[in-house]
Amino acid sequence: MEQLYGIFLYLVSLAIMGGIYAILALGLNLQWGFTGLFNVGIAGFFAIGAYTSALLTTAPSVRHLGGLDMPYVAGFCAAMTVTGVIAWAVGKVCLRLRSDYLAIATIGIGEIFRLILKNETWATNGPRGVSMVPRPFEHLPEPYNQLLFLALVIGAVAVLYALLETARKSPWGRVMTAIRENEPAARAAGKDVERFRMEAFVIGCMFMGLAGAFTAQYLKFIDPNATELTTTTFLVWVMLIVGGSANNKGAILGAFLIWAVWSASEIVTGRLPDELAIRTAYVRIFLIGLALQIFLQKHPHGILPEKRPKPPPANS
Amino acid sequence: MRRFPVSTIAAVAVVAFSAPASAADVRVGSVAGVTGPIAELVAPIIAGRNLAAKHVNDQGGLLDGDTMAMILADSACDPKTGVDAGNKVVNVEQVVAVVGASCSGATNGMVQSVTIPAGVANVSDSATAPSITDLEDNDLVFRVAPSDAYQGAALARLVHDSGVRRVAVSYANDDYNAGLAEVFARGFTALGGVVTGNQAHAPDKASYRSELSTLAGSGGEGLALFAYYGSSGITILRNSLENDLFDRFWAADGMFDASVIEQIGADNLRGRIMISQSASDDEDVSYRAWAGRYETETGNDPKAPYAAHGYDAAFLVALAIEKAGAADRSKISAALHEVSRAPGEVIRPGEWAKAKGLIAEGKDINYEGASGNVDFDANGDVGGIYSINTVGDDGEWTGELIR
Repeated sequence: MEQLYGIFLYLVSLAIMGGIYAILALGLNLQWGFTGLFNVGIAGFFAIGAYTSALLTTAPSVRHLGGLDMPYVAGFCAAMTVTGVIAWAVGKVCLRLRSDYLAIATIGIGEIFRLILKNETWATNGPRGVSMVPRPFEHLPEPYNQLLFLALVIGAVAVLYALLETARKSPWGRVMTAIRENEPAARAAGKDVERFRMEAFVIGCMFMGLAGAFTAQYLKFIDPNATELTTTTFLVWVMLIVGGSANNKGAILGAFLIWAVWSASEIVTGRLPDELAIRTAYVRIFLIGLALQIFLQKHPHGILPEKRPKPPPANS
Repeated sequence: MRRFPVSTIAAVAVVAFSAPASAADVRVGSVAGVTGPIAELVAPIIAGRNLAAKHVNDQGGLLDGDTMAMILADSACDPKTGVDAGNKVVNVEQVVAVVGASCSGATNGMVQSVTIPAGVANVSDSATAPSITDLEDNDLVFRVAPSDAYQGAALARLVHDSGVRRVAVSYANDDYNAGLAEVFARGFTALGGVVTGNQAHAPDKASYRSELSTLAGSGGEGLALFAYYGSSGITILRNSLENDLFDRFWAADGMFDASVIEQIGADNLRGRIMISQSASDDEDVSYRAWAGRYETETGNDPKAPYAAHGYDAAFLVALAIEKAGAADRSKISAALHEVSRAPGEVIRPGEWAKAKGLIAEGKDINYEGASGNVDFDANGDVGGIYSINTVGDDGEWTGELIR
C-alpha cells in the first residue's frame, strides 16, 4: 500500500510539472505554431514571471526585495502583467526581425533577463535565490494539498486551452495562420501584421510568465539555475514539435509525454550500478535530442498534426 | 486525446513496478547534481556516499543484516530537477532518508517541496547557503557542510580573542561577502566589540581611498575586509597601507590567494593580516582514517571538495537508522542528533561494526566524521573547521586550524 500510495503521489507531481510545461508549450504554440514567431527566449519570460510572483507573495525577508505577503491571485496577475509589459517592450524592438534573426534576438534578450535576475542581488538575492515561496493549499494534509494544486494547474491549462481554441477558430486565429503562411498576402489583404504579431508575442509570453509563477510556487523556491535553457527553453521546443506544432492538443500532449519520459526514465537508470547510473543520467538528455531528431526527420508535423478550422461560408 | 493520459500513466506504472526492490534492502536516497554545472565535483562526493554504504554492508549491514542501498537521482543543480528527483526517491523508491541534493538551490527546493512535507530527514553534504538554516523544517533538514554564516562568526570570535575591541568593516557588494560581513558585524557586537564603521564597496574600482578615509576616521583598530582579492581586496590593502589608514586586516576565503602576498609584499603583510578559510583537518584522526581508505578504495583524491562530507552524510544516516532500530522515517531525525554528538563512545569513519555493537548494547555513540566533529545544532547545522592563515617567514601563507 505504501508503495502504491507513493507512486500515486509521484504521478501527481509528474502531472503538476507536466501541466506547467503544457502552459509553456501552449504559449509557444501561439507564437510559433500559429503565428510563426521563432521565440527562443522562453527562459527569460519564464524567469520574469517566476521572480515577480515569488517576490510579491513571500513573507518579508532581508535577503531580497518585495516580500509583500500578497495573495496568490495577485502573484499570478502580476506575473502575467509584468511579463506582458516587458514582452511588449521587447516586441517593439525585436519583432521587426523575421525567422532566424528573431530567434537570435530573443535568445539574447532572454539571457539578458536571466543575467539581470542573477546579478541584481539586492533585489533577487542573486544566485542564492528566493526561498520560502508560499504554495496554494500547502497547509492542507497530504495528499489533498498536492491534488488541489494539481487541480489549479490543470484548471489553468484547461482555461488557456479553451481560450486558444476559441481564438484559433476565430478570424483572429485565421489571420495568425495567414501571417505564418504568407505574410505579404496577409498584408495585402489589409491586415495590420505588426499588431497581430505583437499580440501573439505578448500573449504567448504572458503564458510563459504564468508558468514561471506556478513553478516558483510548486518548488517553493526559485533561483537562476531553475531557469536554465535546457529545461526551460529547449525542452519546451521539443515538447511542441513532438506533440504537434500549431495544434493545441498536440502542445499539451507533447508537454506531458516528454516530461513523463524525462522524469520516469530515471527510475530505471537510478537502479543501475553506480558508475552506470552516473553515466546514464546523461542518457536522458540524449534521449530528448534523439526524439527531436526522429520527429523532425520523420514526423515534422508531430504526433497530432495541425488541423485547420473550417473556413467560414463564402457568403458570410 | 482520451487515450493519452491513461497510456502515459500506465507506462509510468509499468516502469515503476518492473524493478521491485529486494526485500532486505534499506533504501537511502542519494540525490546529486550528476549532470549540470558542478558535474565534475559531484562524482567524488557520490563515491564518498557509496563508500560509506560499502563499509556498512561489508561490516554486517543495517539492522538484521539488511543491505544499505543508495538510490541515485540527478538534481542537475536545478531546483525543478531536484524536486523531481526528490519525488522519485521519496515516493517511488520509498527511501528512509535522503542525502543531497548537492547545490544549495536544488536542496532548498527539494526539501521544501518534497522531503519536509513527506516527513523524511535530509542530510545535505554540500549546500552552504545560510537561508537553509531558516527553513521551517520540523527538524528534518541537516547538513554536514558548514553554512557560510559560520565563517563570519568564527572570524568575529578570533578578532575579539586577539584583544581587538573596535573594528571597521568594508565588504564587496555581492551576496557572499555581504552575507559574511553581516554575520561578522552581528557576532562581533554580540561579543562586546564595537563596529566603528560598516560600508559596502563596489568591486573593480581603481581606488578606494575616499571610502577608506571615511572608515579610518571612525577610529577602528583595524579593518575587517570581505572581498574577492582580484576585484577589490588587493587594491584596498594597497590603498590602506600606502596612505597609512589601516595596518591590521582580517579577511575570509575570498582573500586567500598567493597573489595577495605577491602584489603587496610579504614584509608589508607579516603580522598584519589574518585570513580565515574553511578547511579539512589533515591531522585529525578521523580524517586520516577516512582519507587513506577513500583513496585506496575509490581511487579518488580525498582532498576533493565535500567528498569527506558525502561520506559523513551517508554514514550518519546509516548510524541513525541503526540507532532508531527500524527503517522508520519518523525516527531518523531524533536519532541523527543522538548519534552525532556527545555523550557517547567516539566512532570514526569505517568503524561500522564497532558502532553496531555499541548500539546493540544500548550504549550512546558519538560520530566524529572525516569532515569534522559533525555535532548538529538545533538547526541541523554543523560548525565546521577553519584555518587561520598568516604570512609566514618564508613569505607564504601558513595556516593554523581553529574550531
